Amino acid sequence: MSATRKILEVKGISKRFGGVQAVSTLSFHLNQGEILGLLGPNGAGKTTAFNMIAGAIRSDTGEILFEGRSLANLKPWDICRLGIARTFQLSKPFGGLTVLENVMVGSFVRTSAEAEARAEAEKVVDFLDMGAKAHTDADDLTAFDRRKLELGRALATRPRLLLMDEVVAGATPNEAGEMVHLVRKVRDLGITILIVEHVMKVIMGLSDRVIVLDYGKLIADGPPKDVVRQPDVLKAYFGERYVDARA
Amino acid sequence: MDLLTLSFAVINGLLIGGIYGGVALGLSLIFGVMRVINFAHGSFLMLAMYCSYLLWATLGLHPYVSILATVPFLFVVGYFVQGVVISPLFKRERALVVEPTSALLLTAGVYLVVDNIVLMAFGPDVRSVAVDITYESIFVAGLPINLARLVGFLAAIVVAAALSFWLKHSEMGRAIRATAQNRDAASLSGINVQRVYNVTFGLGCAVLGLFGALLVPFFSITPNIGLSFGIKSFLVVVLGGIGSIPGSILGGLLLGVFESVASQFVTATSAAIFSFGLFIAILLLRPAGLMGRA
Amino acid sequence: MRTKITFVLGLPLLALALAIPLFVTDSYILHSMAMVLFFAYMASSWNFVCGYVGQLSLGHSAFAGVAGYVTVLLFTQLGVTPWLGMLAGGASAALLSVPVGYATFRLKGPYFTLTTIAFAEILRIWLENTDDFLGIPLKGAQGLTVPPVGGSNFLAFQFDGKVPYYYIILAMLVGVMAATAVMERSRLGFYLKAIRGDRDGAEALGVDPTRYSLTALAISAFLTGLGGAYYAQLFRYINPERNMGIDLSIDMAIMTIVGGQGTILGPTLGALLLHPIGEMVRATIGGSFLGLHLILYGIMLMLAVIYFPKGIIVPLQRLLDGRKGKRAVTRGAVKADALEGKGQ
Repeated sequence: MSATRKILEVKGISKRFGGVQAVSTLSFHLNQGEILGLLGPNGAGKTTAFNMIAGAIRSDTGEILFEGRSLANLKPWDICRLGIARTFQLSKPFGGLTVLENVMVGSFVRTSAEAEARAEAEKVVDFLDMGAKAHTDADDLTAFDRRKLELGRALATRPRLLLMDEVVAGATPNEAGEMVHLVRKVRDLGITILIVEHVMKVIMGLSDRVIVLDYGKLIADGPPKDVVRQPDVLKAYFGERYVDARA
Repeated sequence: MDLLTLSFAVINGLLIGGIYGGVALGLSLIFGVMRVINFAHGSFLMLAMYCSYLLWATLGLHPYVSILATVPFLFVVGYFVQGVVISPLFKRERALVVEPTSALLLTAGVYLVVDNIVLMAFGPDVRSVAVDITYESIFVAGLPINLARLVGFLAAIVVAAALSFWLKHSEMGRAIRATAQNRDAASLSGINVQRVYNVTFGLGCAVLGLFGALLVPFFSITPNIGLSFGIKSFLVVVLGGIGSIPGSILGGLLLGVFESVASQFVTATSAAIFSFGLFIAILLLRPAGLMGRA
Repeated sequence: MRTKITFVLGLPLLALALAIPLFVTDSYILHSMAMVLFFAYMASSWNFVCGYVGQLSLGHSAFAGVAGYVTVLLFTQLGVTPWLGMLAGGASAALLSVPVGYATFRLKGPYFTLTTIAFAEILRIWLENTDDFLGIPLKGAQGLTVPPVGGSNFLAFQFDGKVPYYYIILAMLVGVMAATAVMERSRLGFYLKAIRGDRDGAEALGVDPTRYSLTALAISAFLTGLGGAYYAQLFRYINPERNMGIDLSIDMAIMTIVGGQGTILGPTLGALLLHPIGEMVRATIGGSFLGLHLILYGIMLMLAVIYFPKGIIVPLQRLLDGRKGKRAVTRGAVKADALEGKGQ
């Protein structure tokens, strides 16, 4: 692990919605090639932080650097072109398009030629092991296949950084296992990954490192095993009394 | 321009603006509860005006008396249009919100049918009702105030207040408000959502029954005046905040004064251009309306 | 697989359309046929943006009107051939569409629709009340006539019989359908469908919705403009009410929606179904019942929205699939069985 390069640097970003400080002066970074888990109880500000990186909402303060370049004032599509892809908590495939065509929407970022986009999309569909469903109308997919399709669309934009929001929410244990396997495969392609998740178990096995948010503030940063032992994290997840009882 | 002309324009604008607000009440109510933009809104007003005109022309009924017929008639029309034409859309998309464009298209169909039935029945000629009140004015501080417009203005205020009160305090009103907030929860607590929708739509149209009759004494009618009233109502609702009853009246007053003052400087047709321009400008600055949520 | 219906249904229709003037000589009927093709063309031009991006514009008549006026004025004032005038008119419409689209595409659903109406109405009202603009005679509500040059004159876009007019609009219709087919397979087509499906999702995949919607709108406005110019030439007359009134916009939208939005053949099917109905009603009892055909349009629109929200092309497609589809289905089932067998 020599000479780790920081692919993303988040420096003191904040966001306020009316009276709620969703994220306050949050700073963290992602190393090239790692899987970073962003954890936190419901309402901790995970999705807000996520959306600020993806350019869907603007931060009130601070800055975000991707490969040394500021993302300030960039629109979501600009950010995608730079090499950051994202998935959504709620997967909505483009209706009326097949699985392959959905993925092609993503691959058109890198080429305007239809044949090239199609070839690229076919590779992605095979990567997802969805070849048999390539020509299925995306509306007819199961919830889990939609999730995979969404990952595929994002991969087709050839990102260097992938932001994933709640990848296993609502999945069966089998499906969750498949998704974990897929995420590892994606990392093996050399893509750095930030995962927002509140299912602890999944993220512990998957992440190289986790950071924990509570009330919009960073309360822990480190390897998964160490972080789960930190009293602040236990408090945030299970409450004060649980921690006291164990002590 | 001298102060007298200007104040006359402002007063006239307030009067007609109040009426615009009253006309827009139904559109706002229907959207607030059902999330449906009724494209045929103006057509129903036009229908009410023709009813009032017909009763005057055949039976010699004063338009103010014809209210007794136009209001229930428009209620029934609205009730059935919702029950027969629009409700299949809600039934098809049970869990989902009705796609706003589908509802708009459906009501555009209603607009075509209503406008052209009236065109078939009455022809394209301009018609007007001449009754005493058309020409009567009272003088306030030396300024003439047309009585027919004043009646319309007061009616708008009274109807808006009564509607607010009714929505707050009657059982049906509470059911309507509950449905507006959360259709599924309302349905689970035993509210017959279909009936609430029918009544809401009927009510929204019944208000037009009233204003149709109130407008007829000073407004000439043709079968195609509905659309411009519909668009104006939408503008009023956008100005005042969609779904808000006081907002509707406020938006109406704003539009009325704007039009009336603008037409002092330019011709009436150019004033119409200005209202459309205002409409575009407002939506550009606040895409969800002046007081709407973004 | 989806475009198959375009050929299965479209090619015989095209062959029929090409042959019609060989059998039909009655100029009234030929004129009516040309009008069917005209509306098919206009609806297809509307569909180019609205059908794919899923927004309902009721302001497209403005593009037709502006281009029509430009063509007629260029011809009557400067003697420019309407063929060039058409292109200039289409370009003017495309130019106009940029600010209009920039303003409106940020709006959703009914807001978008009503704003497009507002834009078109501003233009129409202004034209109706302007007799002279910077020395250009617009003649207000009265409209402009194109003086006859006498006989058939290709450069003047004036012909003796109806046959040339008929073939011109048929060629235009084939052209717009080809343009739509090309667009469907291009990045633009994919992006428009993505914006229609989920705007936020499309943005995250690198799609700038405004840019691509505007591109499609400008092309659509250009195509609509060509149609508007043709319309003015066919009647050698143009006025604000008929050539740019809201009725024309509504016709384009209804035909497309009834036929099938976002498909190549749908708008033409809609025009083929609706316009003859309207025409027959007008020819038989319409004289005494003004507007009866619009009542029928309204009813058809309502029926389509309720029963065929994706247009009548869907049941037609199912009919086509149904005949050949059975075999495909059984084959698919066998394949699935084989796969399961392999898994065990």
